[in-house]
Amino acid sequence: MPEYDAKKVTEIHQHLHSHLPSDSALRVKALESLLVDKGLIDPRTIDAWVEAYTEEIGPKRGAHVIARAWSDPNYKQWLMKDAPAAIDKLGYLGNATAHLKVVENTDSIHNLVVCTLCSCYPFSILGVAPAWYKAAAYRSRAVRDPRGVLAEFGVVIDDKIEVRVWDSTAELRYLVLPQRPAGSDDLSEGELAGLVTRNSMIGTDRDLTAKTGGIS
Amino acid sequence: MDGIHDLGGKPGYGSIKIDEPEGPFHHAWEAREWGISRCARTPDISIDWWRHCRELIMPEDYLERPYFDSWAQTDFATYIDAGVMSLDEVVSGITDPDQYDKEIPPLPLNKTQVILEDRKSAFRFDAEIDTNPIFSIGQEVITDRQGHDGHTRLPQYARGKRGIVHAHHGAHVFPDLSARGEETHQHLYSIVFEANELWPEDGGTNDKVYLDLWENYLSEQSI
Repeated sequence: MPEYDAKKVTEIHQHLHSHLPSDSALRVKALESLLVDKGLIDPRTIDAWVEAYTEEIGPKRGAHVIARAWSDPNYKQWLMKDAPAAIDKLGYLGNATAHLKVVENTDSIHNLVVCTLCSCYPFSILGVAPAWYKAAAYRSRAVRDPRGVLAEFGVVIDDKIEVRVWDSTAELRYLVLPQRPAGSDDLSEGELAGLVTRNSMIGTDRDLTAKTGGIS
Repeated sequence: MDGIHDLGGKPGYGSIKIDEPEGPFHHAWEAREWGISRCARTPDISIDWWRHCRELIMPEDYLERPYFDSWAQTDFATYIDAGVMSLDEVVSGITDPDQYDKEIPPLPLNKTQVILEDRKSAFRFDAEIDTNPIFSIGQEVITDRQGHDGHTRLPQYARGKRGIVHAHHGAHVFPDLSARGEETHQHLYSIVFEANELWPEDGGTNDKVYLDLWENYLSEQSI
């Protein structure tokens, strides 16, 4: 059972700082072998999780959700009202998405998602977060200088557009619904999904085009 | 706690390193740590206690060591705290069979099975409670001016600030107590703040910041 003793944990961290090897690979190897030795983990299951999050659970799921919302107004309405149920319909409900909310970009609104306190992310539809999302520069600046952050991603936001930043301070997770690109009227759902970028679902990308190279 | 983790609005972290390799993992050890974290967690742990243990990492390590390294370190700390492993075992890398009973190892799972496990991990944090929400949508509120030593999800940049209730999310597990092992539910709201209220010194945009905040963090804004 956890003891919930912050002072003790602070001391543990100080010991680990002094006594563990500095190489992250060695630290993680030590953690894995202790858990395997204690019978708490099977390394083949670790392999399976790595495969699942490399091959199946990633931003292509989110792109499918977005493409469905663009193609089917009823699905979009459901997604905006009850995102966990709507993504479950596609088989994508899971890790950190039971309280998912979708926020929609319009001509006058741009949404941007961050977690300033840790690195909360809707894993089961976007996979593992990119390194920049978890880094201090993004976490510190997204709430205070969203337009400067967006400019670094090559996204210039007109002064007339309101930027809404969503700081994930609770167990809710946010997914941005980007605007459907012009000239995409004749595309199938599968083709539309190919236009959606991961960053457009976080909000660090905005103007998708009918030729956008999406997620492979 | 006013820890190094509470980064919102803090200056000095420079530009964003947006160019990174494709794919979820950039090193094999990152993938292992991700897999470990999906396979097992310290028994009976709350996500809030795990987060608090990550916040307690020494500030220089928190900022300088790689991201998934901080997950491994937090795992070590929570396992040691809960008595699953000892500091000596972690430092030596050798299990002490006299000190701990070996568990019966779980059956290995394949990719199809873990995808089903991922679906099962869609944990909800809300519950019905007896009390009605104090605040209503559209109401003006002010956040607590003061923090406390423990885990909290009211960031420093949003303390003592005026905002408007944008939505009510029902009652969710209150993290400040959950990080101490007490599970209670409390009404949770989406509160919208004007950028000018949060950063008056920065001046002049109509941008907005939305935070999900529990009732305990909020008071009625007196006129």
